[in-house]
Amino acid sequence: MESATLSAGRLSAFRDGAASSVSLLFGMVPWGLVAGLAMVSAGLTPVQAVVMGLLVYAGSVQLAVLPLLIAKAPLWVMYATALAVNLRYVIYSAVLAPYFARLPRPWRMLLGYVMVDMMFALFVGRFRPDDGARHKHWFFLGGSALLWLGWQAASWVGIFGGALVPRAWSLEFAATLSLIALLVPLLYDRAVVVGALAAGTVALAGAGLPLNLGLIAAIIVGVAVGLAASRATRRAKGA
Amino acid sequence: MTGYWLGWALIAGAAVVVYFTRAVFIVPGSHLKLPPLAERILRYAPAAALAAIIAPDLALSHGALALSADNPRLVAGVVAFAIAAATRNIVLTIVGGMLALTAVRLLAG
Repeated sequence: MESATLSAGRLSAFRDGAASSVSLLFGMVPWGLVAGLAMVSAGLTPVQAVVMGLLVYAGSVQLAVLPLLIAKAPLWVMYATALAVNLRYVIYSAVLAPYFARLPRPWRMLLGYVMVDMMFALFVGRFRPDDGARHKHWFFLGGSALLWLGWQAASWVGIFGGALVPRAWSLEFAATLSLIALLVPLLYDRAVVVGALAAGTVALAGAGLPLNLGLIAAIIVGVAVGLAASRATRRAKGA
Repeated sequence: MTGYWLGWALIAGAAVVVYFTRAVFIVPGSHLKLPPLAERILRYAPAAALAAIIAPDLALSHGALALSADNPRLVAGVVAFAIAAATRNIVLTIVGGMLALTAVRLLAG
């Protein structure tokens, strides 16, 4: 009896998570589609593109590194760019860790793989680490599984449908436009805006540098300027 | 390295980097609180990286600065920024940006 009610609780949490995430699919599907298109237009084979979607599963990272693959940038520059774009996940990981700290290790490894921005926001808005909800990891898994399926399916549509789109449509520019859609919500305070402007300026000035060093320099200068701006703002407020 | 193998190397490395950023605190199960300075760096880096990727794509034409209204990508990028800021909708942002790109190209003949 005990185990029957326990598994019913898990199943209902899993279903609840999936049901609560249906509306998030509208945000996930376009990213999968654009990532799929970008991978094949960057010259990856369909098999490589499918494997990249499964292993990396991060639209923003894929869209950011693919232009570097086209430009034949060194691998370490591509890895450093992937890291910089995805550093926001380190914050999410730190916030989520206490929620999942008592789960067995395979569970934590799985949840570490499926975690995406939108599920993070939904989950943290709904649960607390010590709220007594015993099956919240099943809720997280249910929502994440639905988003994962939606994103992968959309990515395959992009991979196998993208080849049919004429080159003249400049679909690779859709990748840049989607990075703009990703950047805008990140610009939530003046220090971030100033840092991003500095990074953009350095990237333009350093565009001719070898090994795409302009990009790396831009990221470092952008972070430094952002930090300096936030320090100046807080000093002005007297904090 | 040929483009084919470079592709695999990119996939493998990006997979490791992305999994690291997602799992770094979840897998050890730590109760660590990030110091405010670290948190600020982690917040500024993604915006800086995205801006550094976007800016050359919009404002450079054949390697030279092209800050004028007859640069289709720049106009389309500005339109996309405005749409993204107003709607926060990725589909509208892409469709609006692509339409602007096409319109400027047609006007330029």
